[in-house]
Amino acid sequence: MDFILSKNQLMVQKSVRKLATEVLDEWAPVLDREARPLPPEIVAEMGRLNIWGIQAPQQFGGAGLDSISYAIAIEELSRVSATVGLGVTVHNSVCLAPLLKFGTPEQTERFARDLATGRKIGGFTVTEPQAGSDAASIQTIAVPDGDHYILNGQKAFVTNGGVGELFLTAASLDTSKKTAGIALFIVEKSMPGFEVGKIEDLMGMRGNMVSELFFNNVRVPKENMLGRPEDGFRISMQTLDIGRIGIAAQALGIGRAAFEAAATYATERKQFNKPIGTFQGVSFKLADMKTALDAARLLIYRAADLKDRGLPFSVESAMCKAFASSTAMRICLDALQIFGGYGYVKDLPVERFFRDAKVTEIYEGTTEVMKIIIGNSIIKEFSRL
Amino acid sequence: MLSIAVTIKQVPDTQKARFDPKTGTIDRSGTESIMNPDDLHALEMALSIKDRFGAVITAITMGPPHAIDVLDEAYALGVDSCVLVSDPAFAGSDSLVTSKTLSSAICKLGALDIVITGCEAIDGNTGHVGFQLSEYLDMPLITQIHKFDVCDGHAVIERLYGHEYQKIKVEFPFLMAIGKNSNRVRIPRLADINACLDKKIITFSMKDLGGTTMEYGSAGSPTVVIETELFSHKRTREVFSGSPGDKADLLVHKLKKHNILRY
Repeated sequence: MDFILSKNQLMVQKSVRKLATEVLDEWAPVLDREARPLPPEIVAEMGRLNIWGIQAPQQFGGAGLDSISYAIAIEELSRVSATVGLGVTVHNSVCLAPLLKFGTPEQTERFARDLATGRKIGGFTVTEPQAGSDAASIQTIAVPDGDHYILNGQKAFVTNGGVGELFLTAASLDTSKKTAGIALFIVEKSMPGFEVGKIEDLMGMRGNMVSELFFNNVRVPKENMLGRPEDGFRISMQTLDIGRIGIAAQALGIGRAAFEAAATYATERKQFNKPIGTFQGVSFKLADMKTALDAARLLIYRAADLKDRGLPFSVESAMCKAFASSTAMRICLDALQIFGGYGYVKDLPVERFFRDAKVTEIYEGTTEVMKIIIGNSIIKEFSRL
Repeated sequence: MLSIAVTIKQVPDTQKARFDPKTGTIDRSGTESIMNPDDLHALEMALSIKDRFGAVITAITMGPPHAIDVLDEAYALGVDSCVLVSDPAFAGSDSLVTSKTLSSAICKLGALDIVITGCEAIDGNTGHVGFQLSEYLDMPLITQIHKFDVCDGHAVIERLYGHEYQKIKVEFPFLMAIGKNSNRVRIPRLADINACLDKKIITFSMKDLGGTTMEYGSAGSPTVVIETELFSHKRTREVFSGSPGDKADLLVHKLKKHNILRY
């Protein structure tokens, strides 16, 4: 048991913090206000620093780091710009990670380098207008045709949709088979019939071009299927287990940003001739924030560590995601309250943190779905007794 | 291919450090250690020369064993080899003995084209080492560097001071002292961070450099600290009276007197 970060992890923290504060900080409010993505030169600079391939092997241009380092990096990015943290974590943990884990050597050879270096941004898409938490009810279909599958259907709320060039896409080979009929395909933007639909006008995370995707007779080569035909749903669920660690780290970053802003403000703002932080009504809020952030961080590191040890981490991943996201939301609520009227204006970033935090309770499985996963595991464990 | 040595130092983070009001010294026990800020700029200068003209860079530090942290950081930034100059006998060295010890270590690295130091360290703030190395290594020292180029086997350097530029042509080898205005330090790549701890660090002890304990550390140092006291900057306010024209004349006069305005 070791509760101290390693030398390497501390260096990762310092380096990503430097990137976030020196490069991304000035962009964070701009991306939010103008609902635009990062400029390509900054995406490229992040690629040079291995941000698009944090855990990918060095042979593919990644950094080959452990999962705790990954969580640290996502926390540091999201503390400054949650929307940048989102793009990075989705690209890394639900596109590149499953490609590396489940892809054939030919598939990794073909796609991993472009993703790990950030030359191509990736995404992962299961959700459809009528299929959210009930992921097995997707209507996008794949029909075999010689050496290809022909994909038809529509995806919704696709993170990185507007900027991505490669999407792991779930499609059903046989809708009557439900989960067993779902396959995953590596779909490239350049394939004819692939179309980016409406870019969503979001409440928060406005710098991510979350969009609809349309598939109109998209011919996907058979060698682009990830795993076996019947593996799609299983791979998707395992991918989300990984993804949730990143989303939890993102929520942690947002919560920490709101906490740090509130703590600073509480020492500067004076009412009744005293800094407001000296009133227990405020300091107790700050105490709860700090405690919850630490608890969330430890849950995240534990899930990340289990993953690296090759042990089951699905329940732990759900726990850290549910706890970190509700922590972030609660901290943003309290931070906004501490800022009073100044928290409600757009001149200060707290209202942005508030808007950004909400979606961490929704995407990559809602808090309710996390509780189903955790609850099912409890029932399974205790019904054996 | 140029051969470059960069001297770097581990220092307490004096921005976060606590001072002992009785002794006037830094309480090092509770203070985080960092690479001296000017030395990061010295490394960046070496790395940018490597990017533009090709170079092999050796980072060299003198200090206790935990000073290897700054060498790991140097590896993460992209240097090619690292040397730790460390021996219990070196403890308590003043700037003169530090420079002498460092220069002996630098001489063991073989032929060098450029030696780069930071202007000064944030713990001692003497700014001596660059000048003293220049004497011990018998290399000219160039300071206040604004622009660096290599042309026909020479370095062409623009120096910036006050309102003036000076452009000079220098033969190798030479020494440069770099301050924080010279460049913007790069962010290390995560892959290089991952690899940096596995890289080899060469250690030079007193045995490697030769000599006796009387020549090193506090025993060999002529500097004696008699007393240290806390120093505070005081600002005084001055109000000019008279007509606006008189006040402007007086202000210009004062600014010229303090060399802030020169023309």
